[in-house]
Amino acid sequence: MTAKTDMTAKGAMTIDPITLEVVRNSLLATVREMTDNMVRTAYSPIAAEIKDFSVGLHDASGASIMQAPYAAPAFVADLDGTIRAGLALYRGDFASGDIVLSNDSATNGQHLNNMAAYAPIVLDGELIAFAAVRSHWIDVGGKVSGSMSVDARDIQAEGWQLPSLRVYRAGVPDPGIIRFIERNSRFPDLVLGDMRAQISACRLGERRLLELVARYGRTVVFDCIGRIWDEREAIARSAVAAIPDGIYEAHCALDNDGVHAGVPVPLAVRIEVCGSDMTMDFGGTSPQVAGPYNSRSAEVVARIAFKYLTTPALAASAGDFRNLQVRCPEGTVLSADSRAPMAWYNMPIISTIDLVLRALHPAIPDGVTAGHSDNIGSATFAGVHPASGQRFQTFIPYAGAWGATAAADGQSAIVSVVQGDVRLMPVEMRETLFPLRVERFELRADSAGAGRQRGGLGVYTVQRALSECSYQAQYERTGDAPWGLAGGACGAITETWRERPGEFEHGSLPLKCNDLTFRAGDAEHLLTAGGGGFGPPWERPAARVREDVLNGYVSVQAAERDYGVVLDERTLVIDEAASAALRAQLACNPSGERNRSEDSNRSVGNSPVSK
Amino acid sequence: MADQQALATGRHLIGVDIGGTFTDLVTFEPASGRIAYAKARSTPRELSAGIADCVAKSGLALTDVDTLFHGSTVVINALIERSGAKTALVTTRGFRDVLEIGRSNRPENYNLFYRSPPPFVPRHLRFEVTERVAADGSVVTPLDAADIASLVEAVRREGIEAIAICFLHAYANAEHEQAAARLLATALPDLYICTSNETACEWREFERTSTTTLNAFVGPRVSRYVERLEQSMGAAGFTGRLYLMRSNGGVMAAQHGKRLPVAMVESGPVAGMIGAGQLAAAMGEHRVVGFDMGGTTAKAALIEQGEPRLVDVYYVNGYANGYPLQVPTIEVIEVGTGGGSMAWLDATGALKVGPRSAGSEPGPACVGAGGTEPTVTDANAVLGRLNAAHYLGGEIRLDIEAAARAIDSRIAQPLGLSIEQAAAGIVTIANSNMALAVRGITIEKGIDPRDTALVAFGGGGPLHAAAIARDIGIPRVIVPPMPACFSALGMLLADLRHDLVRTCAQPLNGRFERIDALLAQLSAEGAALLTEAGANPDALSCSGFLDLCYAGQHWTLPVPVGTHAEGVAESTKIEAATATTSSVRATSAVSAPATTPAIRDCNALQLRERFDRLYEERFGHAFPGLPLRIINVRVRALGRRPKPHLPQLAARVGAPPAYAWRDVHVGAAGRVPCRIYRREALAAGDHIAGPALIEEDVATLLLDADDTALVRSDGSIVVQVAPLAVVSP
Repeated sequence: MTAKTDMTAKGAMTIDPITLEVVRNSLLATVREMTDNMVRTAYSPIAAEIKDFSVGLHDASGASIMQAPYAAPAFVADLDGTIRAGLALYRGDFASGDIVLSNDSATNGQHLNNMAAYAPIVLDGELIAFAAVRSHWIDVGGKVSGSMSVDARDIQAEGWQLPSLRVYRAGVPDPGIIRFIERNSRFPDLVLGDMRAQISACRLGERRLLELVARYGRTVVFDCIGRIWDEREAIARSAVAAIPDGIYEAHCALDNDGVHAGVPVPLAVRIEVCGSDMTMDFGGTSPQVAGPYNSRSAEVVARIAFKYLTTPALAASAGDFRNLQVRCPEGTVLSADSRAPMAWYNMPIISTIDLVLRALHPAIPDGVTAGHSDNIGSATFAGVHPASGQRFQTFIPYAGAWGATAAADGQSAIVSVVQGDVRLMPVEMRETLFPLRVERFELRADSAGAGRQRGGLGVYTVQRALSECSYQAQYERTGDAPWGLAGGACGAITETWRERPGEFEHGSLPLKCNDLTFRAGDAEHLLTAGGGGFGPPWERPAARVREDVLNGYVSVQAAERDYGVVLDERTLVIDEAASAALRAQLACNPSGERNRSEDSNRSVGNSPVSK
Repeated sequence: MADQQALATGRHLIGVDIGGTFTDLVTFEPASGRIAYAKARSTPRELSAGIADCVAKSGLALTDVDTLFHGSTVVINALIERSGAKTALVTTRGFRDVLEIGRSNRPENYNLFYRSPPPFVPRHLRFEVTERVAADGSVVTPLDAADIASLVEAVRREGIEAIAICFLHAYANAEHEQAAARLLATALPDLYICTSNETACEWREFERTSTTTLNAFVGPRVSRYVERLEQSMGAAGFTGRLYLMRSNGGVMAAQHGKRLPVAMVESGPVAGMIGAGQLAAAMGEHRVVGFDMGGTTAKAALIEQGEPRLVDVYYVNGYANGYPLQVPTIEVIEVGTGGGSMAWLDATGALKVGPRSAGSEPGPACVGAGGTEPTVTDANAVLGRLNAAHYLGGEIRLDIEAAARAIDSRIAQPLGLSIEQAAAGIVTIANSNMALAVRGITIEKGIDPRDTALVAFGGGGPLHAAAIARDIGIPRVIVPPMPACFSALGMLLADLRHDLVRTCAQPLNGRFERIDALLAQLSAEGAALLTEAGANPDALSCSGFLDLCYAGQHWTLPVPVGTHAEGVAESTKIEAATATTSSVRATSAVSAPATTPAIRDCNALQLRERFDRLYEERFGHAFPGLPLRIINVRVRALGRRPKPHLPQLAARVGAPPAYAWRDVHVGAAGRVPCRIYRREALAAGDHIAGPALIEEDVATLLLDADDTALVRSDGSIVVQVAPLAVVSP
């Protein structure tokens, strides 16, 4: 049996337009149904509620036919490489009923938690496609529970790998692999439950694709897929063609690699737009680091950013990225050695995606956002619940802020660019399930970067431990704040501190730690970052500044300092004359304490270079 | 447009559905079994005037009306237009931003410019008070009355008309909310004040706060609306009961609607699904899909044992950009495809249908009201599927040439197709889009379509249903009598219904004192509400359910409590609808009003088995070894109402039904000579083989070549759908 690899889009012009729409709807319905099946049958909350997984159909070469539209953006079209690795390993020798598992760091290039399962789809002895599901397994071994320590030095410290192992062969499970997982995960029921859900979704995808092929014929179905790819390419090309040709660059820095405190990790993008083609070059990004911030995700980073810019409303497919080239030398944090630790690989990814937007600002000022808060998760509290005697572990996404755009303020209190429909667990549920009390959960005043359009606001949460527990944190981008664009100011950075009963002064908390003991009564104050502003703050209409003050998003002091709008503290009446004078002065000398735009930010830059 | 048939005197039931364009009215006289319809333009300024017009048109005196059922878009319109009261929100200190923060999700994954919808109450009108209740209902910090006193001043100064009060964990202990409401009501007696514990007594603070806030926002307007309606009806001699349609498929008394207007948010669209459920139950169909195709959208709902499936949370304006309401609502999946949906070519030259609609103005090209864009109706007209001379009962003569011109210039020529090919393609794509909705409610929920039937209604339902059913693998289509007016008819079939819920999170460990107390309390509340609404005491029933989930998961399933697990899960409506079987089943399914549901009759093991079985059924597998948690206690309080019996069709005597011939493009076979029947001419037991059309005034049933139809004595038509032809690869 050999793989059929000539699924090209040639002859696409002869496709019946009606069949095309029906096949398109059927493919979409199939990946939706696989997703629904996964959500309903996955056991662990991270899959079922957080939806940290992706689902797709792929052709016999591994190219993405269609990915479910609800996948977390972090997973956009990233299953191709994983499947290609299996194809190469098994030389395409697959049978119906096979299931391959892989979290191989060399070919997945992500943290080991992300486990792919895929099923070859075989018709009359010939491999025609794959159905695949990647999902975040809650624990795959390693030095800490959850497998994501902040200071691992190698990938083995983060867990074990299943490098393209066939867990089912022609429908028969391999008991050895199951036994291995059972023995080596800290939560074997959860991960095996999720594995079964992944397999069941793959089998469903296999069944549906075979039904579609039986109905319309294989040639017609794959001709339609080719045509869909061609359409995507046309849409992506027209989006890139609308971007002026040129070379665009931006850079920023992560705080550190978790091992070497005080040593920033520089990230850089260089984008070349030429006609309808775009090249993203990550050559300027940091060499791989000692701590767990590495990945082999250069391609994935580029695709996520590209998707945002070109085909945001369409389910992802291989056709979306034909006019995207990626350059990245081996040995960077985005192209690390497969033995390098990768647990927090998402941190360079988020900031790099944000950098792509920043770099393109001079080219498409209306098409990008200012800097986001670029974090993923809040601190984890873990321990034994005093009432039930059972182990608990929280999993709470980081609600940060997005940057402003040319046309609107940034979104407040929202997840990152690599998270999509990820929902915070309600406070009432949190307090019921965990020995925690949330004492404050509000928008963080004065956290938004000032601007003609201001950034979104971060969130101020106070969470108190009601019994002793372990505190694990990983917060980033405090040295290099969410940037403003076009003269907008930076957003506030993430801050945390510890409050203890009886102690008047707030104690500091490390931004990164694996296991810090919280005593009963200790509280974490978490102030998440705000988004960057867009345009000079003194150009924001005074009435809108007043409205922000009325609503407490901006203080009277910040209105005066950052926006040059002078208000009566009690009546909020605008002092027009004083404001006009102050705004004129700000416009001449834009160096107020918080008015650090991209031009003056010490560690970042942005330089369009014309060709 | 009115059916001018005057009705004989006698006691009548009336259903009035106010839609965006038309007000539909259906009257039913139980004594004679006579049904009549009237239609009038909705009067947006004064909706209740539209009702009076419509009643006048029906020729009926309001003095003869016993019960008036009312479905209205007043709530959804007020929310969509944001034209409600100036509202304040009172919250626990530290939590005024819950309404604005929401769940922090981005449902539009790759949309850089996604903005969550703006809150209904701006931040400066959200007031915090010192108080705190813990998850178990214990008081951590007492309510500070001084905080309430100080916000009264601000409320007066701001000209606030309504106040929503939502404190953390109020579902576990409502005392602080109630105390705050009392203090505020004393100081501000003219304001509309509602608390979260009386609006939605479930956990999840964002969803509950949103529900309470929206309820307050529309409360004053809806109260005035209902009062005006009562007054104008009363002035016209109406002395009967006014019932309002709820999103849960039941009705409630007018006075309850004033307190809980958000329960009416899907007041109109669910009525047809109730009718479909009643029909399915009467026919003994245990699982059907209600399919309603109108001018701009098509809707599908899953109906099991006669009961449409409910969801716990409804999103006003959709999930991605909407506002959650914690009100049980019939789960309806909607797609933007209907008769008026336009066909168009996208930038890549792909043929698309909808979601833009030509609406009623200008309407499809063939209607001749100025429309030039090709629509689904134009495609059907070109294919010969519509009776050009008798469209909408002969009110309009279709201009087939205009339809053909629109399809030719916009679709056929650019794609290099014939007009007929393009028209057939538009219909196929429309069917494929609508099939997505039906798939969404069946296959994507783990329901095998081969175990279902499609109940098709709405103006376009019967024309498209067989093709959609064939596409998905649904073997039968059921077309009720008068399908275009079926939604209005469905209202008359609704029972009084209150769904009461209380979050009570605890492990399922055999300790049921709290649960039993809550079941008793909720049943008493439900029975009191039904009694206030004038329910027949002999027809009250309360069923209890526990929402259970595996510890660590968040998916709950409602598991019936009591000794009759299966019986309780079934609808008591089935018995009411089918007189012949009610005596057989009544003993197992209908609780006597005096008995309240309680767990004492079944133990934790039985509940666990029921849950595992339901879970397995829904999700394909179960985890029998994992611990379970109780999340909510639910009581469904029903006040069953007698059901109208539709007139029976006589059996055929003599010659088979007459038919005409017309060339019609029916489907895969293309354009073929087709028998055309009039539905009024059919009799019980008539068999009709496709290809054929069965025409009535505002709907047409299409049978493809191998489909067959049987006319039942209840007036409905059952189509056996021929299976899909498969192309060999």
